[in-house]
Amino acid sequence: MASFLLRTRTLSKSPLCIKWCSPSISTTAVRNTEPQIKNDIALLNPEEIEHKKKLQNYITVEGTTDISPITGIPEDYIKERRVRIYEPPKNCMQSGTNNIGNWEMEFDTKERWENPLMGWCSTGDPLSNMKVQFSSKEEAVEYCEKNGWQYFIQESKLDKKFKPKSYGVNFSWNKRTSFN
Amino acid sequence: MLQTIRSLGNGLQRFLGLRSLQTSSALQHDSLFVHRDTPEDNPDIPFEFTSDNKKRAEAIIAIYPEGHKRAAMIPLLDLAQRQHGWLPISAMHKVAEILNVPRMRVYEVATFYTMFMRKPTGTYHVQVCTTTPCWLRGSDEILEAIKKNLDLEVGETSKDGCWTISEVECLGACVNAPMVQINDDYYEDLTVESTEEILCDLKAGKKPPPGPRSGRHAAEPLGEPTSLKGEPPAAGFGVRKDL
Amino acid sequence: MIVDMLRVTLNKVLNGAKLCPKHIYIATRAQSGEVKKPEKVEVFIDDKPVHVEPGTTILQAAAMVGIEIPRFCYHERLAVAGNCRMCLVEVEKSPKPVAACAMPVMKGWRIKTDSELTRRAREGIMEFLLVNHPLDCPICDQGGECDLQDQSMAFGSDRSRFTDIDFSGKRAVEDKDIGPLIKTIMTRCIHCTRCIRFASEVAGVDDLGTTGRGNDMQVGTYIEKMFLSELSGNVIDLCPVGALTSKPYSFTARPWEIRKVDSIDVLDAIGSNIIVSTRTGEVMRIMPRVNEEINEEWLSDKSRFSYDGLKRQRLVTPMLRDCNGELKPVDWEAALLTVAKVVKNAGPAIGAIAGGLADAEVLVAVKDLLNKLGSEALCTEHTFPLDGSGTDLRSSYLLNNKIAGAEEADVVLLVGTNPRFEAPLLNSRLRKAWIHNELEVASIGPKIDLRYEYQHLGNDPALLQQILCGQHEFSKKLISAKKPLIIVGSETLERSDGAGVLGTVQALAATCTGANKDWKVLNILHKVASQVAALDIGYIPGVDKIRDNSNLKVLLLIGADECSIEKSDLPADCFIIYQGHHGDYGASIADAILPGAAYTEKQATYVNTEGRAQETLVAVTPPGRAREDWKIIRALSEIVEAKLPYDNLNEIHVRIKELQDFYMTDAISRASPTMAKCVQAVLKQKQSKY
Repeated sequence: MASFLLRTRTLSKSPLCIKWCSPSISTTAVRNTEPQIKNDIALLNPEEIEHKKKLQNYITVEGTTDISPITGIPEDYIKERRVRIYEPPKNCMQSGTNNIGNWEMEFDTKERWENPLMGWCSTGDPLSNMKVQFSSKEEAVEYCEKNGWQYFIQESKLDKKFKPKSYGVNFSWNKRTSFN
Repeated sequence: MLQTIRSLGNGLQRFLGLRSLQTSSALQHDSLFVHRDTPEDNPDIPFEFTSDNKKRAEAIIAIYPEGHKRAAMIPLLDLAQRQHGWLPISAMHKVAEILNVPRMRVYEVATFYTMFMRKPTGTYHVQVCTTTPCWLRGSDEILEAIKKNLDLEVGETSKDGCWTISEVECLGACVNAPMVQINDDYYEDLTVESTEEILCDLKAGKKPPPGPRSGRHAAEPLGEPTSLKGEPPAAGFGVRKDL
Repeated sequence: MIVDMLRVTLNKVLNGAKLCPKHIYIATRAQSGEVKKPEKVEVFIDDKPVHVEPGTTILQAAAMVGIEIPRFCYHERLAVAGNCRMCLVEVEKSPKPVAACAMPVMKGWRIKTDSELTRRAREGIMEFLLVNHPLDCPICDQGGECDLQDQSMAFGSDRSRFTDIDFSGKRAVEDKDIGPLIKTIMTRCIHCTRCIRFASEVAGVDDLGTTGRGNDMQVGTYIEKMFLSELSGNVIDLCPVGALTSKPYSFTARPWEIRKVDSIDVLDAIGSNIIVSTRTGEVMRIMPRVNEEINEEWLSDKSRFSYDGLKRQRLVTPMLRDCNGELKPVDWEAALLTVAKVVKNAGPAIGAIAGGLADAEVLVAVKDLLNKLGSEALCTEHTFPLDGSGTDLRSSYLLNNKIAGAEEADVVLLVGTNPRFEAPLLNSRLRKAWIHNELEVASIGPKIDLRYEYQHLGNDPALLQQILCGQHEFSKKLISAKKPLIIVGSETLERSDGAGVLGTVQALAATCTGANKDWKVLNILHKVASQVAALDIGYIPGVDKIRDNSNLKVLLLIGADECSIEKSDLPADCFIIYQGHHGDYGASIADAILPGAAYTEKQATYVNTEGRAQETLVAVTPPGRAREDWKIIRALSEIVEAKLPYDNLNEIHVRIKELQDFYMTDAISRASPTMAKCVQAVLKQKQSKY
């Protein structure tokens, strides 16, 4: 009951409450409507409330965790599959760079086929569209370890040595850079 | 003309509530910017500079500093055009060979400049200016007279390979409009009669003197000078007294 | 100030002027390597400060702080052209907008990439570009991956002022025929000249250019000529609009409906990184993937376009030769049982030949199986001299200095190799060095066109001996070079005098070590993708061991299609098993065929010519009953009761690492109709006058 009182008091202080009151009456004293009693809280016994409270907080576990037993993903998909962690390179077709510079993970490809009725692409693999982006390689590794997936990291060199570009070299007289 | 017909047609269709298939217009230009092999212009016809022109070519190349020898491209193409009358593809190849540049680089230059004639052109290339000042002074009549006299249309070359008529934009002699350029010479202040006279002279193998036909020496006023006749005023002329 | 003084001093040195001791002091200090680095300049891009080297362009400086300036003509791997004007930005106190791609920054500049002026400038440029660009995105192959499309959405106007359609319409340009690979729709061209610059800078073929002027300007070849370059496909990627698109890929798929799988190319020994685009179990196209150390952003035409060969002449089911001598399809069980019986009976009288496309996994599995059976007859199709250190030392058969290292070289000697065809991307690196680094190239071997100037020393291997002895004028250049490279083609080493050539080259490499200790002079350029892995694992190069074995009972060909061994070379009763993916030469002489997977269908390791192990990924599943190669060997081993101790890819990778501490010239191209068209195009071009 104490907790209930506390909730109503905080409610009355919140700016939301002002909307319910007519402007002529003092905002703190009178309430126009009956407060809604939340059944789930009101009907619980103290131990249950205590349990609920605990669940609202984070559970900290020491060391690395393997959540694969409780994710509900079939064992085949965890044991047999390999995850590739990589840094997507720039698309050679376009000059934009907005979707690169992060790390990604994806699963190995399983069979895909054309749906004979509509010609759509089908697959029996629910993980085939699971492409997750991470800000760093370590995060991706941690995520895979947590899920119990086998992974391998593919690194390729994407950045090159910086060299200032020059318009002038097009017209240099003694270099092979002059094409024009 | 074609445009007028087309826009008229489109207007008519719109009026009748008809819709036509919209098409893009073809390039509206008198010359083509790709090469097509023809009996008179193909890479199998050899081109060689005459021994005199070879010396000239060497002298031209010597003007340009080391590393910029390809700058001799325009003078060499001009030399080839003067030798051959127009600029065949084999001449471009020859220039590329002399300057040791890829052929494409020569094609680029030769197509950029409209004074390089990439198709057979007559010995006398009559270029009629029809830009506004000349047009106001009657270039249309001049053009008609030339067409009638030579029995040619604009852009055509006579069968004997002597004459080509082209219509050109301003040649910078507006003060002596109307004017016609035949090869390297300007013939100015033309009338229908004087134009025909020039053509007849050329046909007879004579070289009519270039310049104005109105009796003017250059761009001075016809007859008496009309301004700046007095002595030039001394210093301080027209300046406020209190200064 | 010091720089100025230095310049004075150096000028005096050059002019032969007398030097006072003070000047000598400065000059020597400069020589001792204490070069003062130019001071960095600070500029502000959208008020973000950035320190850059002097000479950096605005566009590059903006990229450093993560601000992307839109562009069409600018490409970081090509020269600056500055003609599309899309990169116009406002610079504070400048009266007009400035082209960011060509303008070097000055100290303290404040650049505004998102100001009103900048946005107006972009909108104006976009409007001009679209005046003559057709609105045919729905039928354009570039649709969905088009820079013009994206940038007109982002920076263009939201309404059109183009009302001229009834009068003269848009510009229309005639399409060009530049070969069987590149489709041109020149009306779409926005004259960025990227293709022209690629052709003249990277490919070294000056066949593209602009003709005409003003509204009549067009990009093309002027004459009817094909764009004959082994790197021509890259202009498809470079083209920011749909003017140059892929002919084989045209109208087959849209970028948003394909899945992209990163992989490795195996059609040459470079190991280019690629992206395989697939839809419904079919490879739709192959594109390059950036890897600065290998292929940069380019891909050779063979790697890019021969994917259609993956759909033809495939071995899709196991086959056995029946009593009439005809190959009959059977199921896996029958095939494996028959093969196992033969193998078991043969015992140690079994040999294997690995072809050019075999992956490291299958090579290991076959080696382990044969060793278990008591045989050591493991050969590769391509030979390599075994004299001297042979293949024991890894450095004796690798491109030791790496592909990217070729860019830094100052003198290169090519021995019996045509990198233009054997490794086009190495050749493009050499050309890059030739342009930017004043590289000097000399070649011993047939006279060829490398797309850059080189000194042709001759076609006689004896020249190497002369260079070694210092009798040849080139030896001075080689020895005085700071970063010399000797690149030897593996084909030369396959000749009868290959061992001699290799010995001389090794001795020559020892004489010219260059200035840097880490610089490796001797480099072997292989032709096929499997060779380095096979030598690493311990295969014997060349098929002599098989040919000399008169009581061979079983021969296992792992994708060996190069006619290195014929049926007449083998004993009459020898049973030939062919395991591979294409019905080429090997399959035609086989008694049993086990269908394997091609490189797009398996996760497999390949080691490129520089010794870099890279993995392909499964893009599509193998067709029909074909299976991953190492799994076939693994299954076979179980039946012949010599079970191999690995069940999955990770376990076999552990085994590979144990073995070695490392981390149309092939059947696919021959089956490709696109490649066949290219051959026809080359023949046609040869008949042409241009």
